This record gives sequence, structure tokens and C-alpha cells, in this order.
Amino acid sequence: MNIAEGLAAGLRDMSSHKGRAAITVVGVVLGVASVVTVLALMRGGEEQTIAFWDELGGLRELRITNKRVDQLLMSAAEKASERLTYRDARAIREECPGVVTVDPEITRWLTVSYGDLAYEMKVMGTNGHYPYADHMPLAQGRFLTDKDLETHANVVVLGSAYAEDLFEREDAIGKRILIEGVPFDVVGVMARKVFYFKGSGPVSGRNALEWLNRSLYVPITTMIKRFTVDDDLDGLEISAKSVALVPSLAEEARTVLRRRHGVEDFNIDAKSERMRRRNEESAFFGIIFWAIAFVSLFVGGVVIANIMLASITERVREIGIRKAIGASERDIFLQFLVEAVVITASGGVIGLVLGLGSVGLIEALLDVPTALAPGILLVAFLCAVGVGFVFGLFPALRAARLSPVEALRYE
Amino acid sequence: MLIETEDLTKVYDLGTARVPALRGVTLFIERGEYVAIMGPSGSGKSTLMHILGCLDTPTSGRYFLGGNEVSALSGRELARARNRQIGFVFQNFNLLPRFDLIANVALPLVYRGSVSRPERARRARALLDRLGLSHRLRHRPNELSGGERQRAAIARALVNDPSILLADEPTGNLDSKTGHEIMTILDGLHAEGRTIVVVTHDSNVASHARRVVRIEDGTIAGDDAP
Repeated sequence: MNIAEGLAAGLRDMSSHKGRAAITVVGVVLGVASVVTVLALMRGGEEQTIAFWDELGGLRELRITNKRVDQLLMSAAEKASERLTYRDARAIREECPGVVTVDPEITRWLTVSYGDLAYEMKVMGTNGHYPYADHMPLAQGRFLTDKDLETHANVVVLGSAYAEDLFEREDAIGKRILIEGVPFDVVGVMARKVFYFKGSGPVSGRNALEWLNRSLYVPITTMIKRFTVDDDLDGLEISAKSVALVPSLAEEARTVLRRRHGVEDFNIDAKSERMRRRNEESAFFGIIFWAIAFVSLFVGGVVIANIMLASITERVREIGIRKAIGASERDIFLQFLVEAVVITASGGVIGLVLGLGSVGLIEALLDVPTALAPGILLVAFLCAVGVGFVFGLFPALRAARLSPVEALRYE
Repeated sequence: MLIETEDLTKVYDLGTARVPALRGVTLFIERGEYVAIMGPSGSGKSTLMHILGCLDTPTSGRYFLGGNEVSALSGRELARARNRQIGFVFQNFNLLPRFDLIANVALPLVYRGSVSRPERARRARALLDRLGLSHRLRHRPNELSGGERQRAAIARALVNDPSILLADEPTGNLDSKTGHEIMTILDGLHAEGRTIVVVTHDSNVASHARRVVRIEDGTIAGDDAP
């Protein structure tokens, strides 16, 4: 008796006991459906996080900021350090071979006026790298250029929200606005940045990137010349060619800055690193989900073992007959084991369908991100097969061990 | 010598008591013989049949089937012996209810292995033809009369071309006319040269055999070997 014969026998047995088979597999169906749902939810969450970071410039970026140091506890070296400056940014751009973009940032809240309107607005001094590094497309006009920086040009690019505040539907390009009384020509308007997190929570239903739309951009050199006393940066972002090259770029930047500062008074923070930590936190919820799936599958397995044991009592005579005409213990064992696996695998298929349905329903009703992949379906199906195998072992062994004489005598 | 037993005993251990079913049975059966084993119920004839059919092993004594010592075989080898050497015919037919006749008759070939599915069906069909069941090939046992079921069971017993046909009260569940038909089939198989052992308490059945072995209280009480 080979596996194919056993499979055929298993299917025949199931089709002749449809009701019993249906009850048997309920647990497996639910277990598999919950495995599919759980995996789709976990994956959906992960993909959403990746998409969010991608909108923020992706995972190739490093953010360098000043380390907070208590003034009273500063060492002499720390006191001597100038902290992060625009000159540091230029040094990194020149000395780090692995760097692709460097965008230094100085942000100030300044009075901006146009016609009768006057607002306190966030003004950022930066360079031409900023929109590329942070995936900020332009809606109109151009962004800041190297020439703007060289000439300390009085030009400004508007974030989409500020452009509306100042100009409503009027065309802003070519208009002149005043920043702290200094005239600036509008050369570009950024496209609106949008990212909505799905599901419940404090950030759902609001544009998580709205703060990026509420900003004005001027050449950092102009910012330093007009509005600040020195060239101290709030921070700078640098990016590597790929995520894999991020750690080596971090080392290069660290070397350059340490040499210039004489002390490590800065933080280099990789977005990819931050995301890895986030994933570790969410792994905890993964464990809870897995536990739920495991319990359903386990209960399903116990039910199967029980019903199979009952069905063996019902089929003692069949086992006796099969043994009388030459079935060995191994043959009987295989027959019952294959039957168990066939039953749970069929339950697994139903569970997959149910799982796909519940994923669709959750996505539609709860607005939670989900993502399905062939791997998820495969894992869930293998769970079903595994349950059949593990919980079929004992009943199959019982069946195989029956004495043929007693089995034949059984009424 | 096809069957040779030496002082077979079988004791059932019921925990509180040890019940002897066979107390030293020595029996020789030649190839081609037609033997009836007779005895009242409780005489031990069923136990003897189970041991001869390799379904059970003796407590002591030795059993040789076709020159091989069966009492020394492993469970797997016993299954193989039941499959290849023994063809069982039971009182209550013991066909599998959820299989049609072809599948029932072909089942021993499945356990034999190395016979292809079409070849199994071909052999089963040929035997069912011979036993006059060619119009019932796709029927299930519960759609057949008792006589038809027993004929299907005989077909199944013959499908592996066994050394011995072991029939346990083959007419016990049949009316006398049908019972006679079944015995006529067994007579025909004996005429072809098959070895047949019939276990019965019915002297009409036993009268078809050429030799009657009487069992009483677990021993041979009479053997009218010719």
C-alpha cells in the first residue's frame, strides 16, 4: 500500500462521512483562517511602516543631531566644540566617499508677510539636496540651487500649506514676499505630502506628514547671513547609496565629525535602525497572535484525535478484515495517518478561503492595513497538514496495533 | 506436506484465570486435500483456524506452512503469509461495505504491492466473472444477496492464488439452497487441485470434505483420514 492508495482511501472515507469530516475539521478551519489573518495583519502593518519611512526619505538616510549635554557637566573638550555647523555639512560632503546627499537644516520661526497678510511661519534654510533626500516633489517652479547658495540669493520655495495661506488660489511663482522685512522672490511651490495610517489610533484619519507642508525653504547661506548669528545647524541629513551602505556611511561621518569636534557631541541616527527597533516591539504582538492561532490549531488537533479514535472503534471490523487479507501494521498505520492528514488538509483549504474572506472583511470594515503573500498561505496550509500528522499519529498507532483475531470478532 | 503442526497449545490469559483453548494439536494436511474441521462451539476449532490462518500465534508448539515455521515469524511476515498463502472465507462475508466488488476483490493485491491498478482490476474482474458476478462489478456488498456476497468473498480469497482456502462456517449465514451452491463452488475448486480447509459444526457441510477432523476440548478427538 503506497501513499497514493492511502490518499485515495482517505478521500473515499471522508466523502462517505461528510458530516463527521465537517465537524472534525472545524477547529483546523478556524485555526488556519486565524493564521492567515494574523500573518496578513502583521505583514500589512510592516509594509505600512516601510511605506511611511519611504515617504520620509526612505531607509537610506542618517540624521545627525547635536547630543544634549548638560551645561554644568560639560567637559573642556565639549565646551571647546562648536557643535554642528554648516561647515561640518560641507566637510562631510567633501570627505565622505559614501555620501550621496547632504542637507543641512536651520529652522527658525519668522514673520512672513505678503500684502496685508502676516504670519509667524517656519522657515528652513537648506540646500538643493533637501527635496531629493526627503522625497519632496515640486508642484511648480524650481527648488533651491547651488547658485542660490553661492550668491546668498533672496529666493524662497513654499510648502503647499503655506502657499495656500499666503496666496490662496493665486499663482505664487514670481511674487515677492517679505521675511522679517527682507524681500524674497518665490521661485517654487512644493507638492502636498500626504500619508494616512490605516486603522485606529491617534494618527489615523489625519495626514501624518502635514508638518512637511507647513514650511518655507530658503538657501541656508541666505539664512545664515540674514537671520542667524552663526552657522549652527539644527541637524543635517545625509543619505547613502543603499540601505546596506548606511552603516559604513555612519562610520565615515562619525570619523569626520569627531576629528572636527574633538569629541563625540553628536548623534547619528539611522532610520533603518529605528525601524528595526520598532519591528522588535511589534514582534510582541506577533507572539500573542501566534498564541491564538496555536491554541485554535491545538484544539482542532485534539478534536481530530478524539474523533479519529471514535471512528476507529467504529471501524474495528474493517481493520480486522484488512489485516486478515494481508494488511501489515504499517499499512493500517499509514492508512489512518494519511486519512487524518487528508481531512486536516481539506480543512486547511477551507480555512484558507475563510482566512482570505476575513482578511478582506477586516480590511474593508476596520480599515486596517493587511498584506497577503503566497508564503502566508503556504505556512497556514502546512500548519493544517502538521496538525493532521501530529494528532493522527496516536489514533493510527492504536488502529495498527489491534489484534486481527479480536478485531474480526468485534461486533 | 503443506500444513504441519506439532503439539500446538493456546492458553488465553484472562487475568484472573488461564483458559486453555488448545491442548496439544498435532495435524498434517497435504497439498490438495479437502478437510473439514468439526466440533461444537468452544471446542477450540476457531482458535485452531486462527492459528492455521496466521491470524494468531500458538502459546507453544510449532506450525509449519509450506515448510516454513510460522510460529517464528514477525508480525510483518505473518501479514505477508496471510496475504500470499491464505485465502479466508468468513461466515459473515466480511466485505468492506464502502467498496464495490472490484475494489473488495482487488484489495489483497493492493497489500501485496507491485501489481498495477489496471492489472488488479483485470484480475478481480476475471475472478468475479468466473463466480458469475460479472453483472455486479460496480455494486456494493449491501446491494447483493447473501450468496452473491459469499461468492465475492471467495473471489477475494482466490485473487492472490493462495496455498490454502480457509473457510469458517461459509454457509452459516445462508439458506440451505444458497449454502449448497457455495459448497458446490468449493467442491469445484478442490477438483481443480486447491487445498481447502472448512471449519464447521454442520455435518452437511462437512460431508463435502474428503476428510473430517473432530476437535473436542482443545484436542483432536477423531481424524478419519482416508
